[in-house]
Amino acid sequence: MTLAFFLTIDWQTLVDALALGGIYALMAVGIGLVFGVLRLVNFAYGQLVMAGAFALALGSQWNWPTWLSIVLCFVVVLVLSALLDRIVFRPLRGQSPAVMLVTTFAIAFLLQSIALIWFGPLGKIASSLAPLNQPWSIGGVDIRKISIVAIVVTIVCLALLQLLLTRTTVGLQMRAASLDFQTARLLGVRANRVIAGAVLVSGALAAVVAVILTVQNPLVTPDFALQDTIVVLAGVVLGGLNRPIPATLGGFSIGFATGLLGGALPTAQSQYLPTFIFVAVILVLLVRPDGLFVRRAATERL
Amino acid sequence: MSVLTLDALEVRYRAVQAVRGLSLEVHPGEIVGLIGPNGAGKSSTLHAIMGAAPIVGGDVRLDDRSLVGLSPENVARSGVALVPEGRRIFAELTVAENLTLGLAGRRSRTGASDAIDRVHELFPVVHEFRGRSAGALSGGQQQQLAIARALVAEPDVLLLDEPSLGLAPRVVDVVFEALAAIRDRGIAVLLVEQRAQRTIALADRSHVLAGGELRLTLGPEDADDTDRLVQAYLA
Amino acid sequence: MNRAAVLAGPCLLIVATALVGSGVSRATGVYFITALVSVSIVVALYVFIGNSGVLSFGHISFVAIGVWTAGVLSVPSGEKPAIMPNLAEPLRHTTVGNVPSLALAALAGGLAAALVGLPLMRLSGLAAGIATFAVLEIVHNLLRYYEKIGPGLNTFSSVPETTGIWQAAIGALLAIVAAYLYARSRFGRQLRATREDPPAAAAAGVSIYMQRLLAFALSGAIAGFAGGLYVHLLPLNTEAVYLDLTLITLAMLVIGGATSLWGAVVGALAVSALDSFLAEAENGVKILGVTIDLPAGTRVIVVGALMALVLIVRPTGLTNGREFGWRWHR
Repeated sequence: MTLAFFLTIDWQTLVDALALGGIYALMAVGIGLVFGVLRLVNFAYGQLVMAGAFALALGSQWNWPTWLSIVLCFVVVLVLSALLDRIVFRPLRGQSPAVMLVTTFAIAFLLQSIALIWFGPLGKIASSLAPLNQPWSIGGVDIRKISIVAIVVTIVCLALLQLLLTRTTVGLQMRAASLDFQTARLLGVRANRVIAGAVLVSGALAAVVAVILTVQNPLVTPDFALQDTIVVLAGVVLGGLNRPIPATLGGFSIGFATGLLGGALPTAQSQYLPTFIFVAVILVLLVRPDGLFVRRAATERL
Repeated sequence: MSVLTLDALEVRYRAVQAVRGLSLEVHPGEIVGLIGPNGAGKSSTLHAIMGAAPIVGGDVRLDDRSLVGLSPENVARSGVALVPEGRRIFAELTVAENLTLGLAGRRSRTGASDAIDRVHELFPVVHEFRGRSAGALSGGQQQQLAIARALVAEPDVLLLDEPSLGLAPRVVDVVFEALAAIRDRGIAVLLVEQRAQRTIALADRSHVLAGGELRLTLGPEDADDTDRLVQAYLA
Repeated sequence: MNRAAVLAGPCLLIVATALVGSGVSRATGVYFITALVSVSIVVALYVFIGNSGVLSFGHISFVAIGVWTAGVLSVPSGEKPAIMPNLAEPLRHTTVGNVPSLALAALAGGLAAALVGLPLMRLSGLAAGIATFAVLEIVHNLLRYYEKIGPGLNTFSSVPETTGIWQAAIGALLAIVAAYLYARSRFGRQLRATREDPPAAAAAGVSIYMQRLLAFALSGAIAGFAGGLYVHLLPLNTEAVYLDLTLITLAMLVIGGATSLWGAVVGALAVSALDSFLAEAENGVKILGVTIDLPAGTRVIVVGALMALVLIVRPTGLTNGREFGWRWHR
């Protein structure tokens, strides 16, 4: 079985799996950053991606130049993120993480339905970046441009993020706040500023993901990215909810594994993939609640 | 430099009254001790000053400015720094990063590197281990880091919550010597401690708190008068 | 505290609803029956979430198991191959009547919950929420693709429609009585103690794990039972017992008040009423001469927004966590 398994992985599948891993890694960071400072698992994160995707669809419908559509995408996602923070996250501060999870679950459905009313169930097409879905011929093998672009963009974003977190004051304050918010405040770190920073970066990442995903799936429907969010959440929990690097690794791993197994295994076996993933999530929560990739013992209870 | 004044302070958590009618003053260049048994309300007092505990009556003033109702970060930015109980350093960040975080409470935009140099003088170990992860330091070194972190903000008032907790006597010497040096710099120091005798000996004035109330005030000359102390604790 | 009132209140409400529901047209009656089935589901949620204070995000998986159990066993043998061609041998030839199917659904739900609860009841807070959500995903995935035990992607279309207004009402009453007896029992009180003051309860010798497991299993049984009622009412598939049902039943519990039986019942009926009205409005309805025609999806927006609002502003819900009959004595 093993030999046959490796024989069925072609370059396209491998690169696609890496790309999916990258996309999920970005989403994992977005979710992890906000969790770090707010202890809030944003179930509605996928809806931010959806909103960005719809912005791109509108832009292409209005025949805007590609760069302008992307700007609109960022504006929409960032505004929506800020609104969510003000109206939902801020009043919920101090509630238990479980309550926050359920609330963001309701918000996710709410946003999905708003999109349903606005755009209808059939969705819209975002076609501005369609050329990127064409393949490049590298060494006689066809690989879609968007997969390479996704990998490169992921690496750039993660590098920029690492710079932000380690070289800037705001980044340092965000890291401190996710370790011990109360003490950070007692030192003079402004709570609202740190949270706004995390929400902003998280939103920017959602916008990037929206751009990449609409190239691969140009049809934007109201439930765009909902299932992806659920899988990414699983990955973040597996990797380690509390820390940014393990969360990223978790997101990447689950994206890569999903892409690889989904592409390489015949359907009969790959359809039970969610079961395996979520059984793994339960095992991790029972045995190593801080995640598989977290080394240190210094932890907080979920 | 500013005077910290507590005026009939009342702190209550839901149904539990932690501090009743506490009044005291801390002037620049003096150490005021706050001692007493467990649960006496000492930590609650410090948290209340920092805006992290519910104040239901009385006032906390820095000179003539009331601090009541300010968020913790705003109290810090007014020139009051806390060295929390248990040190609460960020174990996963480096010593230098911990120190940098303390700069958030500074009131002036310039002079940050001078402030850092000054704490390096006071606590050489902080300079020596600046690139190391803070979690790798010993208890005593972490305590020094915690105090240094509070000092880089160049506060007018320094609050310390049981700095000698869990430290060997020799290390406590180092910490208390540093506190004396801090006093000499003109900072007003409010020191909450379990080690009553050492505190009474070091501080200009020591208040005994029990059941949330001020029971007794002692001076350094009373350091050996254990009877009075026991009486105050048990009253 | 007037103990009789705590039970009487919800029961009277159920009977009243059933009486009204039996007098309306068939089309409107469906809303009433669905509302009563919802009561059973939400009461199941209350038994665990309300008493333990722990979130079970995936409880609908037990409803789904009840749906599958009652559905597979109730479809007449002749009809089985049509929707369930790959059914396992013993199931292919077994058909049971209405009441046995409901009993078996309850049993299946309870057993599944007990099994799932064995490892999971050690968890609290966010970890419990995520783990139970994982259970929902697993059950959804398995039921969808494992065709030996059910219709997989197909809809349960030939199940005898035995859940009329009175079956739903009796079902709701049974659920309420079970929940009431549990809440009043030593076990219920001990579990609530672990919610209110965990260290004190542990010091008093209460096993948090055992009490949670008991409540989880019982609530799984009630949920399975409700699933049985549900499949005898409407043709269902895996999507009907997945995220949308999770949202609306949690909303019912939250809006009504998660910590009381009265809250669960009031929430289920009130939100059902609202949801039904909005469903009609989505199809175009005339009220007092004014035509209201809301776009499809409004229901979810209103219910979702209400739920979020309640959690943000008044987390204890409409009933403030109080039981019926407390008003006069507190």
